[in-house]
Parts: sequence; structure tokens; C-alpha cells
Amino acid sequence: MVGRKKRKGNKTVVNVVLGIICFIWLLPTLGLFISSFRPAADILQTGWWKVFPHQEWKAGETLQLSKDVDLREPIEVNGKTYSDDQLKAGVSEGDHRLIWENRRARTINVQERGWEVKPNFTLDNYKNVLSGKEYKLKLGDGSETVQKGTGLSQAFWNTLTIAVPATVIPVLIASFAAYAFAWLRFPGRKTLFVVIIAMLVIPIQVALIPILKDYTALGLNGSYLGIWLAHTAFGLPLVTYFMYNFISQLPKDLFESAFIDGASHFTIFSRLILPLSVPALASIAIFQFLWVWNDYLVSLIFIGNQPNVQVMSMKIADLVGSRGNDWHLLTSAAFISMLMPLTIFFLLQKYFVKGLMGGSVKG
Amino acid sequence: MSLLLVLLLSFTMVLSACGGGGNTAKNEPPANNQTGGNNQGAANEGSSNENLSPLELALKGEYKGTKVSMFGPFVDADQVKFENSIKEFEEKTGIDIQYEGSKEFEATINIRVDGGNAPDIADFPQPGLLASIAKTGKVIDLTNILDQDKLKANYNQSWLDMGTMDGKDGKILAGIWNRSNVKSLVWYPKKQFEEAGYEIPETWDELMALTEQIAKDGDPAWSIGIESGAATGWTATDWVEDIMLRTTTPENYDKWVNGELPFTSPEVKRAVEIMSDIWMNKDYVYGGTKSIVTTAFGDAPGPMFTDPPKAWFHRQGNFITSFFPETAKVDEDYDWFYLPSIDEEYGKPVLVAGDIYAMFNDRPEVRAVLEFFTTGESIKTWVQSGGVIAPMNDASLDWYSSESDRRMAQLVQDASTLRFDGSDLMPGKVGAGTFWKGMTDYVSGTASLDDALKQIQSGWDN
Repeated sequence: MVGRKKRKGNKTVVNVVLGIICFIWLLPTLGLFISSFRPAADILQTGWWKVFPHQEWKAGETLQLSKDVDLREPIEVNGKTYSDDQLKAGVSEGDHRLIWENRRARTINVQERGWEVKPNFTLDNYKNVLSGKEYKLKLGDGSETVQKGTGLSQAFWNTLTIAVPATVIPVLIASFAAYAFAWLRFPGRKTLFVVIIAMLVIPIQVALIPILKDYTALGLNGSYLGIWLAHTAFGLPLVTYFMYNFISQLPKDLFESAFIDGASHFTIFSRLILPLSVPALASIAIFQFLWVWNDYLVSLIFIGNQPNVQVMSMKIADLVGSRGNDWHLLTSAAFISMLMPLTIFFLLQKYFVKGLMGGSVKG
Repeated sequence: MSLLLVLLLSFTMVLSACGGGGNTAKNEPPANNQTGGNNQGAANEGSSNENLSPLELALKGEYKGTKVSMFGPFVDADQVKFENSIKEFEEKTGIDIQYEGSKEFEATINIRVDGGNAPDIADFPQPGLLASIAKTGKVIDLTNILDQDKLKANYNQSWLDMGTMDGKDGKILAGIWNRSNVKSLVWYPKKQFEEAGYEIPETWDELMALTEQIAKDGDPAWSIGIESGAATGWTATDWVEDIMLRTTTPENYDKWVNGELPFTSPEVKRAVEIMSDIWMNKDYVYGGTKSIVTTAFGDAPGPMFTDPPKAWFHRQGNFITSFFPETAKVDEDYDWFYLPSIDEEYGKPVLVAGDIYAMFNDRPEVRAVLEFFTTGESIKTWVQSGGVIAPMNDASLDWYSSESDRRMAQLVQDASTLRFDGSDLMPGKVGAGTFWKGMTDYVSGTASLDDALKQIQSGWDN
């Protein structure tokens, strides 16, 4: 009885801790989400938590001081003296607050506390991001035209065109390789494997310029093929290692009996290995997909920013304008770009956890 | 089995898509002569066309169907305006200018050039960056490509001097100027300014007197913000440069920019001290000195547009109007005056910035496009839509759609001295490094003036 109670108590502690971690984790996301529905002016002025009902100082009666009050001397208001700095920041006086209303006209406002419950929401941020911003342009004759920019849709399809093959190709190649490293005996197997694992520690940045030179010679710059190959190459070491861990743990007897029945390596791979490693395939595919989807650097270097190939991350970066004047659009853009990875994650989620275990639990 | 089918199917899709992707790729053959002023363009093919410049040939339709790639930092609204300004040229000549804008231009252009993937034309907002690439010999010398007499006629000599840089072997004309910004401007809320009975200050003393007057009336006069993410501090460098031009000779300014006049010299120190008279006085700055470092440069003009204004002056280049509220009207609600001279003997110097276009691949159609960019026509619609100043002499003042822009163009044309934003000319580790950081430290109070200047100067040493 005592033991059971204790276990229950432990569980509550764990749940509370988890709850706190989840809260801390989700709070910024929640803030971003709320901000994405707020008008630009509000985002610039107040925090997102102000959309909830809260107490605020509200304008009340106005006091007019004499016009020739010297602001650098103590200022007398209703028989008490305050300094200019106090009146700038607002000074509490009982349940009222005194603050400059118009310092130049020497008026002071006596504010009262009140509830503020009027959240201001708009879909403008989403509209601007999805269907393109509107640019007001002045023409030579002084009239104005509105020119519509492009929305995210083209960039969305571009990114998908890049991300799907850039996920499928490395996962496929790596599975073949992992099978070979795990179950085939050939000379130099161990050395080759170590070389591939060693690639994991090489930062991709050092490879950018040499690869760009090769691509220029081959005419691959700015093409989808080029970026698929780049992502494949950069992703292969990790994917191979991950798949090797999983495939090498499959029971040996299975393949031996298949061999005796006359199955070739390819049959074993396609009929036995692939179906058995679905969890691992799914989880590494999620990893690779997320990496490619969120990638900025590789796209920046190898595919560039032409509208017909531009990816989402670059389009979003451009949305804020040459001088960052429209950064409030990042809120909604972030949520839109998050949708696809979230969908993939929830679709493949049941494999995801299994697959993570698959790589780590030996035996 | 079905999984295998899916995998195989997707693999074949990948392969077929590969073919498609390869076709849409722009694989123009890279031009070979990247190293210098090789003057063997196709400009003189065909005897009847012998005396025509590449631009004239292009307008005759000679290069129809060719493509010219271009890379620069304009994105978003700027990109739309830029594309509008070249539309007519593209239609007339049949040359397709493929413009690619990137917010990471500064970081990417070096990689592209090193990787052999340089665009035909690149647009540099910081000539210092172009200068460092020009040294490697990868920028084409325009001396023999563009007609020098025409250039001299169409640009103020200062612009041409600023486009001349050190090449691999000797001086080259590394680029031509297309778009310029004026920096020596003080913005103010016109309507309320007039209502309050203030007058535009003509001298520095008048400016300081007015600042004091406004403080007495109850407002801080200046609204200043230097926060800009990783680039925090650049607004402060513009102030120092503007004051330097007004307190010392242009020659000293050039020496300073080249690193020959150290930051610790009395000239520079005096400039920062004059700036401090405003910045370090909490009655003169909206929010007090401590708010300067935390206010984003784009948010800084905001207080001028409340009713009544909470601040009255904002010193910034003409681009800042894109941060003004949309409802504010130029010439009515806001206007600018020239940041007054300090020492009379240095006249009316103007600090400018701008975009310099450099050429990396020498093909006849690229020459034609570059020649086009030396004409005012190439920026006409942009000028009309406001926010930029054309540096070319053949850009008519009538094009400017607001009085404010027209006066700016006039200011540039009449300037006794024209100097480029110094921090953009200094090497990156100073101009975009210690200079920004040192000024920020000084303004935020973490370093004394002497320490800050020493710290900035140390950028030159390593």
C-alpha cells in the first residue's frame, strides 16, 4: 500500500516536471503563434501577452500646468513636487498615476487602472505571406499603382521538388550500402566503413567552394539535379551509419535460410531487409527531410535565389525586405513553413519512436 | 513488395525529374577572359556597325535572345522597383537580364566568385567589398570597355574616382555607379515644425541653439537609434563621417578611410566629441542616451510622427523614408534639411552611399547591359517611384516625383565635396567590425572615448 502510494507520488512529480518542460518549450511557439495574428503596429509596440485581459493605466482627467514651468526644476502638481524624470516614467499617487500627457503643452494626465480586454487580431500577415505583398509604386505622372508580389506557393513547390528526392535518394543508397557493410564480406569493408563514418565530422562548409567549382565546370549550378546531389552527399554518412546500426542487428538466421532457399542478395534486400527496416527508414527519412526542408546554406550556394528555383527558407528571408523593415511577416511565414514538417512528423510518428529505439537498443 | 514498388517508382521519378531539372538549368558557358581589360568584344563585328557602342547595337536588336545574369542585394520591394526599371530595356533589346537578389549578398558573392560561378554583373552596395575582389584580378577593367569621354560627361568626377580601384596589375575602373543614396540629411516633421515657429538651422550653432530651444519647450530634439542586429552601430559611424567631413579637409577624410589617419588622432576625436554634445545629453535625445543602443534604427524615426511629435530631428539617409508610417506624406508631413556645416572653410560636403555595378564576364551583351546602366534612363522609373537618387548627369531633375527627392539630387549635384560612406570603404574588419562595435561601446557607456577609439583603431592592426 505504502509502496503504491509512493509510486503514484513519483508519477505526479514526473508529470509536473514534464509539464513545466513542455510549458517552457511551447511558450515561445505560442507567443509566435499569437503574434502572427496581430497587426504589425501592435507587434512593434507591445508584447503578445497583452492580447489577454490585463490591467492597464487608462487616460483620465487632464491637468493643465502653467505654460512657463521650467522642466529642469522640480515641478509642482496639486501641491506636491515631482521631478521631470518621475513624470516621464509615471508616478503613482494613491490608486492614480501622474504622467505627462503633452510635455510641450505642460499637461499631465491622471490615469486610473482599468481592465483592457480588446485583443486586436488580423489575418493580414498570412495574407501577405501566402498571396504576396502589395507594393505601392509611384509612376512618372504622380499616380500610384499597386503591384502584387509573389506568394509562397512557387517556393513551396520548389522546396518540395528539392526535399522529396533529396530524402529518397540518400535513404535508398544508404540502405544498400548499410546492407553491404553489414552482411557482405569484401576486402576493405572495415576501412571503407570507417572512412564513411569519419565523414560525419567534416563540416559541410569546407566543401562548398570546391564543389561549387566542380558544379560550374559541369553546369550543375542552379539546377535541381545539383542540389539533390549536394544534399545526398552531405546526408549520406549519417544515414548510412544509422541504417547500418539497424540492419546489422537483424537476426542472421533469417538471411541464411533465405540463402539456402536460393535467394540472391537483391531478393534478400528487397523482400526481407526493406520490410523489416521500415521503422528505421521512416525515422531517418524524417530527419533528412527536416534537414533539407529547413536548409538555407546549401540552397543559397548551389541553387540561388532565382524565382523559379527559390526555396521557402530564402523566400521567407526575402519577405522582410532589403532592410528588414517587414520582419513581422516572419511570424506567419514561420508557421506556414512549419506545416509540412509537422504533417510528415505526425504521419510517420509511430515509426519515429520505434526507429529511434531501433538504432540504439542492441541485443 | 508494395514498398519496393513505391521506392522503385520514386526512383524512376527522380531520374526523369533529373532530366527536366538539367534542362531548366541556366548553363551559360562561362566566359574565358576574366582577367583584365581584354578588348576583343564582338562590338566590332560587321563593318557597318563599327562605330556603334554595344548599347546602340543592343538597341538595334543585335543581341536578341541572349541572357545576362545579375546578382545583387535588392530583394522584395527594391527588387520589384529594379525590375520595373529594366523592363523597357529588356523589351527593346530582347536581352533577358536575369536578376537574382539575395539578403546574403555580401557573404555569397565571394563564394560565387571563388567557385567560378560569378554572375555577369554584380551590384555591390559596399565598394570595399568590390575593392577586395578587384585585387584578385577577377573583375574586368572597364577602362577600355566603356567610352571614357561619355562616362566623364555623365558622372561627377568624384564618382569615377570612387569606382577606380587597385586591380591585379595597376589601377582599374572596377565598376560604375547606378543608384545612390544621400546621407547628410536631417528629417523633421514639417507641419508641426512650422506650427511651432521653428526655423531651419543654417549653421551648426543654430542647430545646437534650436536643439536647446526644443529641450526647453519640453521635447528632446533628436531621435536616434543604432540597433541593427549584428550590424549595430552603423548609424553612429555615419554621424562620425558626416561630422569629419565638416571639421577637417577631404584629404584628411580620405587618409582616415585608408587607415593613414588613425582613429586616435585629434581630428577623429574632435568629430566624436561634437557628436557627443548631442548624443550624450539626455535632454537632447528621445528616451535618453541609454536608449540609443537599444532602439532599432528603423524604429527610431517613429516618435517624430506622433501627434504632437515626441522628437523633432532624425539624421539618416534618404532610404529611411521606407520606415516612415505609410500615412505620412513627403513635403507635407515630413521633410529634410541639410546637416549644417560646422567649420565654414570646408564648404558644403555631402556624404553619399550607393551601388556600384561590376562586370565579371566579358560578352558583348554584358557590355551592352553595363553601358545601359551608365545612363539615367536605366533608373528612371525607380527615381520616379522615390527613394533613390540617380548619380548620372543625364538623369533629369523633372523625374523626381517629390520636391524632397529633387532637392536631394540638387544637393548632390551642388556639393562642394562628395564623399562615400567611409565605413563601407574601410576593410570589413574595421568598417563593419571594430568601428561599429567601438561606437556602440562608447555610446552605451562601457568604454571611454579614448578607449573606444583605441579599440576601433586596433581593427587596422590585425
